[in-house]
Amino acid sequence: MLTQQKLKQKNLLLSWAAIQFSLLLLLQQAFAGWVIAIFALLLLYRLLSVFKAKAAISLKLVNLLAGIIAITFFLQLQQAGVLHFMLQILLLAATARLLALQHLYEARQLVWVHYFLIACCFILHQDMLIAVFILLVFAVNLYSHYRLFSPSVSQVNWLQTGRSILIILPLWLAMFLLFPRLPPFWQIPNANIASTGLSDTLDPGSIEQLVQDDSLAFRVEFDGALPPRQQLYWRARLYEDFDGRRWQVNALRKNASRQRAADTTADSSLSYRIIAEASQQTGLFALATPVTSSSNVFISPSGLLSSNKPVSQRLSYQVSSSLTPVVLVSEQEQQLNLRTAPGNPQTQQFAYQLKQQYPQSHELVQALAEHFRQQAFYYSLTPPPLGRNSIDAFLFDSRIGFCSHYASASAVILRHAGIAARVVGGYQGGNWHPQQGYLAVRQREAHAWVEYLHNGVWQPFDPTAAVAPERILNSLDSALPEDQRALLDPGWRQLALLQNVRQQLMHLDYYWSVWVLGFDDTSQRQLWRNLYRHLPVIGYSVAALFVLVMLLLLYFRVRQNRTDNTPEATKQLYRYLGKMLAAKPPSLPVSAFLLQCAKRYPAHDIYLKQLTELYEQALYKEDTEALNQLKQLLKCHKAELGRLRRAIKNA
Amino acid sequence: MPNLTLKQRLYQRYWQLLSRYLNKRQPAADKVRLVQKLIFILPTRYGWWFVLLITLLYLLGTNYQNNLILLLCYLLLSVFLVNIVLAYQNISGLTLQCKQAAEGFAGEVITAVVNLSNDKKHLMLNMNFVQPDNTKNTDARQNETVLLSQPATTATLNLNGTKRGKYALPRIKITSQYPFGLWRAWSYVALAQHYWVYPTPDADKSVLNSLSNDASQQAKTDAGETLSPYRAGDSVRHMVWKRLARDPANPVVRQQHFSAQAEPSWVVVPQLSGDALERALRYACQQLLQLEQSGSSYGLKLPALTLPQAKGPQHLQRCLQELALC
Repeated sequence: MLTQQKLKQKNLLLSWAAIQFSLLLLLQQAFAGWVIAIFALLLLYRLLSVFKAKAAISLKLVNLLAGIIAITFFLQLQQAGVLHFMLQILLLAATARLLALQHLYEARQLVWVHYFLIACCFILHQDMLIAVFILLVFAVNLYSHYRLFSPSVSQVNWLQTGRSILIILPLWLAMFLLFPRLPPFWQIPNANIASTGLSDTLDPGSIEQLVQDDSLAFRVEFDGALPPRQQLYWRARLYEDFDGRRWQVNALRKNASRQRAADTTADSSLSYRIIAEASQQTGLFALATPVTSSSNVFISPSGLLSSNKPVSQRLSYQVSSSLTPVVLVSEQEQQLNLRTAPGNPQTQQFAYQLKQQYPQSHELVQALAEHFRQQAFYYSLTPPPLGRNSIDAFLFDSRIGFCSHYASASAVILRHAGIAARVVGGYQGGNWHPQQGYLAVRQREAHAWVEYLHNGVWQPFDPTAAVAPERILNSLDSALPEDQRALLDPGWRQLALLQNVRQQLMHLDYYWSVWVLGFDDTSQRQLWRNLYRHLPVIGYSVAALFVLVMLLLLYFRVRQNRTDNTPEATKQLYRYLGKMLAAKPPSLPVSAFLLQCAKRYPAHDIYLKQLTELYEQALYKEDTEALNQLKQLLKCHKAELGRLRRAIKNA
Repeated sequence: MPNLTLKQRLYQRYWQLLSRYLNKRQPAADKVRLVQKLIFILPTRYGWWFVLLITLLYLLGTNYQNNLILLLCYLLLSVFLVNIVLAYQNISGLTLQCKQAAEGFAGEVITAVVNLSNDKKHLMLNMNFVQPDNTKNTDARQNETVLLSQPATTATLNLNGTKRGKYALPRIKITSQYPFGLWRAWSYVALAQHYWVYPTPDADKSVLNSLSNDASQQAKTDAGETLSPYRAGDSVRHMVWKRLARDPANPVVRQQHFSAQAEPSWVVVPQLSGDALERALRYACQQLLQLEQSGSSYGLKLPALTLPQAKGPQHLQRCLQELALC
């Protein structure tokens, strides 16, 4: 008993240590390296002390230790942010409690804090697989919670557990689906994690790095048919400041993103829903000119979408776009996009020549595209490094570049030729999954192109389409030579089977994000409306089900009554002595037979006589007490029954 | 009511009201089966903490607009709610019965055996008698709780007997927090049974000496008896059970020196009242126990009643009961 008690405690301690390790793993994004090291050390020490069966550390010492660590955490508050600080303190509390744990009842607080921390993991992770893992951790915690209040040696009653789960599941889902959803009550601190995706600056090399990242950027469902690939230019960033080498988002744009455009005159020809992955940035994605959007995102006048806070978890929003180019907002915008940077004299020269040759701006753009197409320009993931006058070096020397090089060079040429132009960063194309009906856009679809002002609208122009049309019409893979494709696909990704599994997981993840993560008040209202509409049908089916169940119950009850009029005492006897009683001639009463047996096997004489007496009392006097005793007698003397059976068999 | 704190007073008042309500709802019965009518369920302190957790998670989930946190929150909420049913199921269907009246001496802990019968597994049951009448100190009020972590057929519960007499068995409080400690299901069960508190045996016969010489002969037999440690071979009949109960490691036997053909004797309680009567009764009790141990026949003479001479445990019990009632 004592060893079992200890063993259980050990198991529990191990499971709590395991929970805390998994929490540490799940929350590692939120912790600095030294914080992780501290927690790992504390946990390792605890594990060691469990295995060596050492006593827990005294509470005083643990409190002192935890106090010191908490103060260091506090000193780093500025750096870590409030959310991370909270997570650190919570995990510290749990770890300290585990270190000083001496009695089982003290573990209640531990389990409580674990529940909270497990929930906090969902702030950082919403992937399906990780969510499943977190739920697993939750289940372990729930089990340890059960262990705190259950007898130390009992087994889990699976029947009861199963029944409880059958009740819990519908209750849970109904709550999730029907419980009212409220808007956020107050502003909450966000996790500060490095952002992913396009940044606010565009270096010659930044997109090349991005396309080697195979992770998902966002997914799109179209309400209608999938538009042709040439139209799938997902605008995300406008780069308007050029310093001779790199492009930057203008400060004006960063601040002016809050106002909602109320341009309802344009017709919206394309409606779609985007599920954006967490990027820790506010910038979002849309096609051409977005006209209307769901209330959680804003449309800026320049046609860019943004959310009001960094996207820290998957965000789903509805947009409708008109497939016309973006309109010029103001004179200021035009001026902004005519500024040129010093340097790159050859490019300037080239721009003037073009300008003289083609005074019309779209003719000039055509000519530029023709220039890229005719001359020996190459599309490559690994362009050679460029010198100080990077545009000159690219246009007239190396002639090998990626989309950002072409876009950058084109915009500079157009500006020198007196045409307002800017570089647009975003994504092009995407992977269409016809069965699931969505377009998956990954970071490797990152792209840069140019918009130039023509007749008051910003006409898109993609120089890459001139150099490598496969990139636009097909995918990046087909536009690159064989050796560079390997850069995109590390070895294991090329295995067909793994690829397939990955694909299936991605689809599952898609449904997960649509149905679980994307379930919001709109979908809830829709659900209520549907329920309301089908209320009579639902009511009838429930009533019918109820009646059916009642009828079945009634039927079984009647059948049981009809077939089963043998008294309880007889049933009990037959249950335990069935084999023996099978030898009984039908004419002989049970008790008489038992007495005969008693005579034949004197070793069991007393027991059989006892049985007979109780049986008769239970049967003829209808004495429930005797019946209970009979049951007890049958139950408690299994060994004797076994011996009796063997004796009969051997006889 | 001497020196009672406000809290104790309030508790007494509360218990009075509760008893009145319970007496109407469940009058004492021989056999009580815990059914829905008798079971109360409320969250425990940990249960309230759990509610706080669920609320916090709801706020967290709503503020972050995070469906997964909300999912977890609802999962915990449904676990919490289902626990009402589980807690109820764990305690319902238990049948309690007290077949034998408990007995013991005043000032001692009296043990009552309660028979339990059940058709399913009841785990982690806590049982104790609720005796709020003993207002001497707060500890006396709460009797020791017995934990039955596994299904059992009997439970041995402790009672505090302070004054001799025959009392109705107090209500038994059965509580269970199984399986998650979030809800406490409990019931106050009244069983139609009594318990006896006999006078404490006491060899102080000063009251009697001053009164009568009737007992002088008895005194002689007393003198012929000493206590000595138990050695192998001593008759179990001579065991001092009382001492054994107090100190099981060192059994003590009575060395009886009087002859086997001792006269059948009488234990007499004279007409007295107040403290003197109590002392006389205590002495009489001592005498009865000794006589029973010596194996001789004895009778009891009370002012109002005379029990004829006999011997055996039943006779002793009868005599002690009369002493308790005297």
